[in-house]
Amino acid sequence: MTEATDAIPADANVAPLAGWEIVSVVSSLLIAEWVVLVFVGRSKMVAAIPVGLAFVFMFCSHRLHRETLKEIGFRSDNFVPALSWLLVPTLIAAAAILIIGWSSGGLRFGLIPARPRFLLLPLWALAQQYVLQGFVNRRAQMALGTGVPGVVVVATMFALLHLPNLPLSAATFLGGLVWAWVYQRAPNLLAPAISHSVLSLLLAFSLPPAWLNSLRVGFKYFG
Amino acid sequence: MTLKSNLTSEASGRLARLLIAKSIAETLLVGTIAVVFFLTLFPPYFRGWGEATPKGIAGWAVNQSEPWERVQVQLFIDGQLAGSSVASGSRPDVRAAGWAVDEWHGYEFQTAGLVPGEHLAQVYALHSNGAGNRRTLQLLGDPIRFVVAADGGFHEVR
Repeated sequence: MTEATDAIPADANVAPLAGWEIVSVVSSLLIAEWVVLVFVGRSKMVAAIPVGLAFVFMFCSHRLHRETLKEIGFRSDNFVPALSWLLVPTLIAAAAILIIGWSSGGLRFGLIPARPRFLLLPLWALAQQYVLQGFVNRRAQMALGTGVPGVVVVATMFALLHLPNLPLSAATFLGGLVWAWVYQRAPNLLAPAISHSVLSLLLAFSLPPAWLNSLRVGFKYFG
Repeated sequence: MTLKSNLTSEASGRLARLLIAKSIAETLLVGTIAVVFFLTLFPPYFRGWGEATPKGIAGWAVNQSEPWERVQVQLFIDGQLAGSSVASGSRPDVRAAGWAVDEWHGYEFQTAGLVPGEHLAQVYALHSNGAGNRRTLQLLGDPIRFVVAADGGFHEVR
């Protein structure tokens, strides 16, 4: 391939390729959730293979698209605008979760010190927001344009990854709509990660565990 | 408005090849997991046979990967569990035929109390995986069709 050929934009190929990229990454995560756990049990080493493939692929894809960390959303210059967009919906959702938790007798924040793994929640939320916004949302915008269709695709993918836990899928669909909408206006990953962490913590310790089946998803939901 | 991509035609070709390679890798992974899972839970090592005798259902069962093991067997009649046993009875004919290294692989189930008419018996080898958290049944030989007469005697339907 010559330098001249290398410089030719490939806009015509971008939309179908971007759609294929979304399907590829989401299918890797579904394989980890559904296939590996069904057949191999709780072997995290084997489950890490499709997840690792997805992350390696996303890294290579960013390189091929020539995307910078800043473009993806690892930045601070638009953190305040992004956080301000998210503040009201996050507070409304948090208040709703707390009111429902209080009225159902599900509040149990005293358990938090006994669950040190929740200290990793911000990192886990950042990783999820990176996949959803930094990758899926960007590819959805390349395939469908900025706006409602791309936002719905992101929210649908997020909900799909939380099946068959229907209440959690519904909650993640709503959260996905808000986070994707804000990301398209202010592409920052730290702000939705904070919102995601706060709401996940409240969901985990406010609602009766049976309602969300202890936040289990995929095949793990059943046992 | 569409998000601008800096993907060049060469990069788009590389991206497509990468997607294909990833799909192949995942197909191989899922295929490997499925085959290993199948061989772990349904190892093709169980051999056996059963037949209707004047007293009930009798036969033999051998695990050829562990020939000294006494295989646990379960009898189902008309789809319902009718008995469980360990195949450890004397069957010198099985050893003589080369199916086992010793003769202690026979089983026999008494089947009293069945209503007159035709019934279907199936004998399964019970197998546990290494961790003991998954158990499977493997059919030994063919299903046995037999008839219980009004006087309680029964015979196999060939």
